[in-house]
Amino acid sequence: MSTNEGFVLQSAPHAHGRASIPFIMHAVNLSLIPAIVISILYFGWHILGLYVLGVASCVLTEAVTKVVRKKDWRTVFDGSAIVTGLLLVMILPPSITPIMVILGSVVSIFIGKEVFGGLGQNVFNPALVGRAFLSAAYPVALTTWTEPNRVFAFLPDAASSATPLAGARFEGQAESMLRMFFGQTSGSIGATSVLFIMIGGLVLTFMGIVKWRMLVSFFGTIVVTTGIFWLIDPTIYQDPLYHLLAGGVAFAGFYMMSDMVTTPYTNRGIVIFGVGAGIITVVIRLFGGFPEGVMFAILLMNSVTPIINRYVNNRVFGAEART
Amino acid sequence: MLASRIRGGVHPAYRKELASGQPIETAPTPERVDIPLAQHLGVPAAAKVARGDEVAPGDLIGEATKLICANVHSPVAGKIRAVVQKPLPGGRLCDFVEIQVDRDATDAHVWERRAVDLDQIDQKWIASTLRDAGVVGMGGATFPTDVKFSPPPNASLDTLILNGAECEPYLSCDHRMMVEHAEELLHGMLLTDAAFDFSRVVVAIEKNKPDAIDAFNAAIDKLGLRNAGRTPVEVIGLDVRYPQGAEKVLIKVVTGRTVPAGKLPFEVGVVVSNGQTLFALYEAAYFGKPLVDRVVTISGEGIASPKNIRAPIGTPVADLVELCGGVDPATTKVIAGGPMTGTALPSLDYVVTKGLSGLLFLTQSEYPDESPCIRCGSCVEVCPMGLMPLKLAAYAKAGKFELAKATNLADCFECGSCAWACPANIQIVSWIKYAKNYIRVKGL
Repeated sequence: MSTNEGFVLQSAPHAHGRASIPFIMHAVNLSLIPAIVISILYFGWHILGLYVLGVASCVLTEAVTKVVRKKDWRTVFDGSAIVTGLLLVMILPPSITPIMVILGSVVSIFIGKEVFGGLGQNVFNPALVGRAFLSAAYPVALTTWTEPNRVFAFLPDAASSATPLAGARFEGQAESMLRMFFGQTSGSIGATSVLFIMIGGLVLTFMGIVKWRMLVSFFGTIVVTTGIFWLIDPTIYQDPLYHLLAGGVAFAGFYMMSDMVTTPYTNRGIVIFGVGAGIITVVIRLFGGFPEGVMFAILLMNSVTPIINRYVNNRVFGAEART
Repeated sequence: MLASRIRGGVHPAYRKELASGQPIETAPTPERVDIPLAQHLGVPAAAKVARGDEVAPGDLIGEATKLICANVHSPVAGKIRAVVQKPLPGGRLCDFVEIQVDRDATDAHVWERRAVDLDQIDQKWIASTLRDAGVVGMGGATFPTDVKFSPPPNASLDTLILNGAECEPYLSCDHRMMVEHAEELLHGMLLTDAAFDFSRVVVAIEKNKPDAIDAFNAAIDKLGLRNAGRTPVEVIGLDVRYPQGAEKVLIKVVTGRTVPAGKLPFEVGVVVSNGQTLFALYEAAYFGKPLVDRVVTISGEGIASPKNIRAPIGTPVADLVELCGGVDPATTKVIAGGPMTGTALPSLDYVVTKGLSGLLFLTQSEYPDESPCIRCGSCVEVCPMGLMPLKLAAYAKAGKFELAKATNLADCFECGSCAWACPANIQIVSWIKYAKNYIRVKGL
């Protein structure tokens, strides 16, 4: 850039829209407020402490890594580390210990993001990398669930103290749909309440930050595939709505698969990702060793995203007539 | 036929209201004009004058030597001071003919109206009239217009579209031309229709210019072009969206036809013309007047009184600035053209050219710094050509020019929608231009 007589010389365009990375990231953070508030009501004030701890650890890890790499540490203000911190805590069990949150945060940011080169370079969703690490390091703690406080008095009593998916799969006790919709069930800190996740998630969808094609393809695939099994034998398999409301499907659809860096960018690529993640989730849920499979489904699809992005291109205007 | 919606596109802040209500003013004859001989796409014209020569208004001073080239004429009477090399906007050097203007002789000159028999007009006449008059696309592309109207023998043109989209923010020179000179523009269209016997003649205007649509409808009624006579003229209101005025985009929207990648519009039988270009044809046909002046929008937050000014080609920018009350010290950028595709000027030391649609004085802060790409896909979503701008930018950055070429680099017409929409502020168009230039220079 050079100036002469004070006028800036830059290449066109000279106008720019309002979109910015901090805007996107902070929109995601703000949209999480309903789900965060309800998670604190369900599981107690110590949950707020875990959020603060998770966010602080993520931000600090990014800053330290940047300083060590002699890069600009002020990238922490772009809001992406805060997103990772919040999302990580929301997908951990309520009885998680502070030290595990710190460890998970460090792994999320350092292994999940900075090792690849920072924002935009990572292959896997950082929060899920942290979650996967903790699952392997603390298998018992990561499958220990606590019942939430009774927040909505009009809801029926809990069917089981297990999570809805584990209860249905291993104890033969299905949870009430209404309880699952409000999130009044055992489960991850911030991922159980479909209603409160949707409030923020739909705002993001309206803003175009969450892609509606991703939601339709992911949720649609889950409905169709679980529906097939349910029709074959409703005594063994839960119905599609149950699968939508139970576990982490809603949270993953709105908040994990909306991570732009680790999901495809063309419309067709997005649909491939959504369908793939849906199928893998259902296969693990119905036939795998875990009651829930959405985390592995997304991590697996993250790993093929670079290939999708490489080979799935848009149709170029007038290309079919190119000679 | 109803117009469809364009693929992709964006909604920049239009800021048209600054100048769109300002009637066209005619600039006083300047004391001196500096006329570049490369005001068009293609090779520069060859100088036909030398220091000391006397010229009259309309005299040829630069001659077209190749097919993709255009004549250049003197807008004034005067004496050639020099023919010297100077930079055009963007930095390319070209010969400029400097003329010391004889203001009295210039102002005394009258372009005599002459009769034109529409029945005697054929395609050759249109092409030679355009070529002699040095008419080029005045929307900014400056492609020689006679070439546009000279389809190869195996092609035929069946549709004429007057491009009244004027989708670039701030600009309103075409808008004012349509409001104030709808009749003359229609005469320009009738001339070409007489030669080509189009099956469709369309005036396509974005709906944010309702007065231009009204003006055309009134002029069509007045000239009796609604149904009677030759081809009826349709006026179509387009939904506002950038870059609707891009030729291929407009053809798709108006006719549903897709110009093949890498091809020209005559492949699908369509010719698109900017309003001022048709006005130039009208003047060339009825007055024997070559393209020696044009309307320029002078606008932006940094100019005291935004205006639309008809000025002779070669008029110094500083003269126009003075007419508009001067530049605000808060001005950070001066743009030749529109803010989405225009060229930044380092100083006011430039002149009016055939393709100069606007001079914008912007007070905005500098373009923000680039962040890493987060692969959000915004650029992919807004690209009207269905390209993958983020890949093109990444390949250009990495020096992988062959890959960029294989990823349809050449199909980008640099509308700027991708960079406008990019949340990471990546100057995608700059990277694309860099790759294109690299490939051109290295002959890859």
